[in-house]
Amino acid sequence: MIRRAPADAHARRLKREAFFAGQLRAVPVAIASGVWGIVTGVAMVNSGLTPLQAVGMTLLVFAGAAQLAVLPLIVAKAPIWVILLTATVVNLRFLIFSAGLVPYLRKLPLARRMLLGYGTGDFAFAVCTTQWQSQPASERGSPQQIWFMLGTIFSTWSVWQVSSMAGIVLGAQIPPAWGLDFAVVVSLIGVTIPMIYDRPGLVGALVAGIVAVLAAGLPLKLGLVAAVIAGTGVAMALDYAQARG
Amino acid sequence: MSDFEIWITIIGLTAVTIITRNFFLIPGDALRLPPRVEHALRYAPVCALTALVTPELFTVHGTLALSLANPKLIGGLVAAVTIVVTGRTLLTMALGMVAFWIARAWL
Repeated sequence: MIRRAPADAHARRLKREAFFAGQLRAVPVAIASGVWGIVTGVAMVNSGLTPLQAVGMTLLVFAGAAQLAVLPLIVAKAPIWVILLTATVVNLRFLIFSAGLVPYLRKLPLARRMLLGYGTGDFAFAVCTTQWQSQPASERGSPQQIWFMLGTIFSTWSVWQVSSMAGIVLGAQIPPAWGLDFAVVVSLIGVTIPMIYDRPGLVGALVAGIVAVLAAGLPLKLGLVAAVIAGTGVAMALDYAQARG
Repeated sequence: MSDFEIWITIIGLTAVTIITRNFFLIPGDALRLPPRVEHALRYAPVCALTALVTPELFTVHGTLALSLANPKLIGGLVAAVTIVVTGRTLLTMALGMVAFWIARAWL
């Protein structure tokens, strides 16, 4: 029998602790993700997907906002390319998230990068970046950070899947009067506001929010893109102006 | 849509998730972002999430609803204040929903 060196055991313990810390830190957002999952599960069944199709969608697609955006299009029998384009636009924010993850994941092999990337939805991303912000750059991509991330993904992913299934099973039994859809919005407010830590970020978010409302009528959810470009542009300009004093 | 078309759509949507979430992770170390882009990355996620939220809050059935008679606005306001004051996500969800339900029952 091979005995592991004490240093090895120590490293394993650190990873395990980081994994649990990530799971624990993600509990509030996992509950938010659970509400979102139920809403999405109900919406899938109400859009006429069979239970099998709905389960397949939740297991594979794993992107609540995109799923909710395309369901009305599926009901309306929109062409598949319109559906996929709409989902892509709604998911464009993940492009930004993925770029933000590069400094932390760059040392991992491709398959692991892609697994972590696939699992990182809005909530896991918000928890990880908020956590990592306070840690020194030398810690970037350390095993602890990766295992913390795995913990947040594990929490949000498993709760999402279970709650989606619950939504699919319960379907029409959940009264629309509860307004569960709104719980999704409230939970997003809860994770977004703590990500604002300076004035340019605050102003940028306000601009993005206003543009998103004004451009909400654009086809293919393009208002979302306009909002992100406008908000980020304003935030950067403000930050440059501040740096110059 | 036929069963086959639905499954094609689901597979396509899966590809969309995989590609968008990994877009910059696929090149990985080979990718060196220009400083200007790295700078933008500090602000873009918050802007993206905010842009996801505000249309839900400020519009009802696609039209602007800025009055306090919009229960979603009340719920959102209470949620925002709660997270700023307490920093607690669950409390934010609970109070935001309660405010939304009360406003909806009253208005």
